[in-house]
Amino acid sequence: MRLVRNLIGTPEGAIGLGILVLLALVALFAPVLSPGDPLRIAARPLLAPFTDPSFPLGTDRLGRDVLAGIIHGTRTSLAVGIAAALAAIAIGLCVGLTAGFAGGLVDEALMRVVDAFQIVPSFLLALAFVSVIGASVPVVVIAIALGAWADPARLTRAQVLSIRERDYVASARVIGTHPVEIALREILPNALPPVLALSAIIVAAAILTEAALSFLGLGDPNVVTWGSMIAEGRNVLRSSPSLSIFPGIALVVTVVAVYLFSEGLTKTIGRGRRIA
Amino acid sequence: MTIATLSRRTLLQAGSALLASTALPTFAFAQDAASGGRLVVAADSEPKNLNPAIVASNGVFFVASKVIEPLAEASFEGKDGLAPRLATSWEGSEDGKSVTFKLREGVTWHDGKPFTSADVAFSALNIWKPLQNLGRLVFASLEAVDTPDDTTAIFRFSRPTPLQLIRNALPVVSSVVPKHLYEGTDIATNPANVKLVGTGPFKFAEYKPGEYYRLAKNENYWNKGEPKLDEVIFRVLPDRAGAGAALEAEEIQLAAFSAVPLTDLDRISKVPGIKVISKGYEALTYQLVVEINHRRKELADLKVRQAIAHAIDRKFVVDTIFLGYAAASTGPVPKNAPEFYDASVPTYDFDVDKANALLDEAGYKKDANGTRFSLKLRPAPYFNETKQFGAYLRQALAAVGIDAQLVNADSAAHQKAVYTDHDFDLAVAPPVFRGDPAISTTILVKSGTPAGVPFSNQGGYANPQLDEIIAKAAETVDTAARTELYKEFQKLVATDLPLINVAEWGFITVARDTVDNVSNNPRWAVSNWADTALQS
Repeated sequence: MRLVRNLIGTPEGAIGLGILVLLALVALFAPVLSPGDPLRIAARPLLAPFTDPSFPLGTDRLGRDVLAGIIHGTRTSLAVGIAAALAAIAIGLCVGLTAGFAGGLVDEALMRVVDAFQIVPSFLLALAFVSVIGASVPVVVIAIALGAWADPARLTRAQVLSIRERDYVASARVIGTHPVEIALREILPNALPPVLALSAIIVAAAILTEAALSFLGLGDPNVVTWGSMIAEGRNVLRSSPSLSIFPGIALVVTVVAVYLFSEGLTKTIGRGRRIA
Repeated sequence: MTIATLSRRTLLQAGSALLASTALPTFAFAQDAASGGRLVVAADSEPKNLNPAIVASNGVFFVASKVIEPLAEASFEGKDGLAPRLATSWEGSEDGKSVTFKLREGVTWHDGKPFTSADVAFSALNIWKPLQNLGRLVFASLEAVDTPDDTTAIFRFSRPTPLQLIRNALPVVSSVVPKHLYEGTDIATNPANVKLVGTGPFKFAEYKPGEYYRLAKNENYWNKGEPKLDEVIFRVLPDRAGAGAALEAEEIQLAAFSAVPLTDLDRISKVPGIKVISKGYEALTYQLVVEINHRRKELADLKVRQAIAHAIDRKFVVDTIFLGYAAASTGPVPKNAPEFYDASVPTYDFDVDKANALLDEAGYKKDANGTRFSLKLRPAPYFNETKQFGAYLRQALAAVGIDAQLVNADSAAHQKAVYTDHDFDLAVAPPVFRGDPAISTTILVKSGTPAGVPFSNQGGYANPQLDEIIAKAAETVDTAARTELYKEFQKLVATDLPLINVAEWGFITVARDTVDNVSNNPRWAVSNWADTALQS
């Protein structure tokens, strides 16, 4: 709780958290805010924005409601972003913890795997993965996580390497605590905060990657996403730019909010540590 | 004037120009247009093998048809819809087992050697029949080509082969290549497949991968006074949005094959100096088709297929997806093939109530969520319009209680899933009608094609009656009787719905006003452009 209070204390954190809460509410209540399938053909195609009160943001080339698309797109973007970040951090923590704590050959082997994943551009990896397996939301989540877990793994390992030499870890070892217990109860909680600060950046990157995949037509075609909306709008960019601009704004606002939130989080954690 | 000096000028210009497209050479032509001039055309693909005798596809023809000529070309006015090229006349025998071609005299290859009947015989027996994608079908029973003299070639078939089919196929399958360059070599890897040598109005001059193809005037072309142009340059512009901007900036003068997207046509048609032409693709009609996997229990039921046909609003498809640049289909043969087209087939009006009633009748009631059953729908990724139609079809099916789940994939994955693995319930495909139902259309519905053959019936549909008509038409020599069989074929397909024909469309050419004689034959974009000219 103190973390949240401190977070709101920083202007970045307050703004970021505010927008994110709002977006989360939109995502949560999407079926209430705009009932029905957002992809259904609802009206005349290419209705201009701000002309018809029942379609405030107009309609796209097939006559689908743009506002409904943006509301439901929030769901996809946030869900994919958070799920991918969770998956990436979970894998990263496990690998980093194992490598840092076990050391020796295991460390060497795991870190070379991490190297391999860090060398390959994560977007290319996601692109290749999705085009081989086929596009659906879970596949996109895994594809993004595949390219994002290496950073938290490296960070966790560095933290573990420094923490495992501390006195309290040594004393735990002396009194005969099981190594797994040491790793999970003594080292992990102390290695976690910097990794969590990284998590917000991963969420933002994941949202952008998801949008880029959808833009290239590799997203799940059965759900509406901002990336696919921008791609659809690109075909009529000269005549109806609003079709790309509105989902673009939604994307920018979300990513900026996540970054602000992460700024705030980093500052708060830093301050918290100084106090401790 | 060579490309080298142009590139230098381009370099000088590049510093001041802000357009990203100046990374490619900017051809300044207005001041060079004096005698004949240079036509700069947008190209969007660079085929690996440019030999039209081996790869009879539009992407290859677009460039290669100016260099390598067929025996005859499609024509709006000519007899049988043909204009003579390397052949001056053709005649079939009574029994359908031979066709005699009289060849043009005084034609030379670009390397100076004379063109003779030996070149035709070699191309037919060694390339068209064994290697070419379409020639394999048309010349399947070709046994020998007799060459009694230099200007006569007699094609001999082991089984009756209708002259009507040969005639309709000529513009596409009969590209003649020089025997003296191919004989005794590995044809598939011959360097002449890239650096073309032909008899056409333009010589293949230069190819810079990723930048351009340059074709130069053939001074010794058999038709004196042609070609009108000095040079044709195919500038590679892979980005579809780039062609419209390049036309406006006068960097190119012509963009064929709908290189300018449909959604941009309305705007660009209002730009002074630019014309939008929908003529010139009559012999290259694409058809928007819903392929059906008859292995699915629900789809094997004719009532369900009829319901799906009734659920599709063809007017919406034509007006909204194709923005009016298409026509609604009635059956498997497009209206652009008047020789075969039959309008008196069963049609399926847009009628949601009727579709719902048919599905109820078939025993697939709506459940609590209003859904009858789920389907996997794979739209082909080749065109924007096929993908959009996929999105539309999903909604149209939802309206009658069928839940269609879209699956997108790239071209290779899509073809494997549909034509090899049969991992689909419905698929959206854009097959091409190639002038005769026997070349490209019957294969979409006849049974017995092994898995893995792309653009064929892989939906497990088998109808002995339909197979019999197709087999009979393949051997019917009499033109009227053969045409009648294909009318029967259309009726049967429209009645039994092995697939659903939705719309048919051609491409759009956008050109500057200064280009003359554009779109003056039904295959214009892939014809030889000998009479195309630039106003100076």
